[in-house]
Amino acid sequence: MEPWFRSIFLSVIFIVPGAYAQQAAEDQTANPMVVEPVVKRRDINEADIDTEDFELGLFVGNISIEDFSSSSLVGARLTYHISQSFFTEASYAQAQAGQTSFEILSGGAPFLTEDERDYRYYDLSLGYRFSGETFVTQNWVFNSDFYLQAGAGSTDFGGDDRFTMTLGAGYRLLLTDWLIFRLDAKNHLFDSELIGPEKNTHNLAYSFGVSAFF
Amino acid sequence: MNQSLIRCVLTSLCIFACVVQAQTADVKITQAFVEVHTGPARGYPIFHVIERGEWVTVLKRRTNWFKVLLPNKKQGWISYQDLALTESVTGQATQLLDQDFSGFGERDVELAVFAGVFDSVKALTVAGTWVWTPNIATELSYTQALGDFSQNEILMIRVQHSLFPEWRLSPYLSLGAGWVRTSPKANLVQSGDETRYSDALEIGLGLRYYLNRNFLVRLEYKDLLVVTDRDEQQENNQWNLGFAVFF
Repeated sequence: MEPWFRSIFLSVIFIVPGAYAQQAAEDQTANPMVVEPVVKRRDINEADIDTEDFELGLFVGNISIEDFSSSSLVGARLTYHISQSFFTEASYAQAQAGQTSFEILSGGAPFLTEDERDYRYYDLSLGYRFSGETFVTQNWVFNSDFYLQAGAGSTDFGGDDRFTMTLGAGYRLLLTDWLIFRLDAKNHLFDSELIGPEKNTHNLAYSFGVSAFF
Repeated sequence: MNQSLIRCVLTSLCIFACVVQAQTADVKITQAFVEVHTGPARGYPIFHVIERGEWVTVLKRRTNWFKVLLPNKKQGWISYQDLALTESVTGQATQLLDQDFSGFGERDVELAVFAGVFDSVKALTVAGTWVWTPNIATELSYTQALGDFSQNEILMIRVQHSLFPEWRLSPYLSLGAGWVRTSPKANLVQSGDETRYSDALEIGLGLRYYLNRNFLVRLEYKDLLVVTDRDEQQENNQWNLGFAVFF
């Protein structure tokens, strides 16, 4: 160590504790023996308590695609619970459309290719729940809800994406605090010109599913 | 190999389970009585009543309801209003550090869905926003506009500047860039090769309104300049009204 550096270093070592000791002595004369109580508050912080407002689920069912028979439907949905009554939901599902009665009866050229028969939709909806309970037997009781939903989305069918309005009603049974069984009926409305002039089509789907809170 | 992999996964799951284990808190009832419901809503039946002076443990929360462990080891749900009137172990009123307007200024992430009009065509948009400072945020959005003749899909990344972040009704300006994919309706063309990709620039003006807890309503207007190969540039406008959740 260089001598000048060493002398600075040593002077710091000697001066600083001295200065502190002097200050401590002054404090003690001014403020004798005050012990500040240290109270640690145990508040309920939203960040600490586990919050479960999301619900993720799968469903299977059947959809009647207007003019194109009915088909089985498979999908998934994510629900966010806003309050005890309101919830928002995003869902996605797919089905394979069948044939029109004209195609079946005439045996002629098909209206759509195989790819165009893929029916896929997504929608975003807002729902309102009416909560209550269901007595399966006199002693076997579950909490349950009846709910109404309305939303908008898009349906990919016949080679095009179509703006789709949805209206639905459903019933859910809370098997446990986090596991839910659902029955849904949902109408998907969109404009279609696939078999002639443009018209408003109603595509009613019913499904059952399970979902879990997280 | 397989066994060690399984062991490794199990160990990491155990560690994860320990890490994510949420805290609980004990509270004392100070009201004459508090009704305990079987589920997290007003409509679920009341099966128990906790009396003044009894202690319960708060386990978890769903919307504005709290699951509690009762002295008799049963579990039930009490409302936010009832929990706010309890006392914590220090003897003071339980502080519910809930999301309120101050949380709006401290938010990190915002998720939004919008319904709107893109050049007189109905459009749906989803967006995710990352808030860096009270004023500056970046946003990624995807829009699908479904018209009678064509479909537009727009992917945009933008920077937002909130002018007065401390206001409950808070205006912002945005500047963005992205891509537009335009595909004509299948009944207009037989071949699918007409799909166009274009670059786009965007300037926007919006309003956020803080509703309650962690919910916002957003209204915005955007002007898009789509850079095309044709002689003239294409200008579109978009109106959006949406609902957002922040965390």
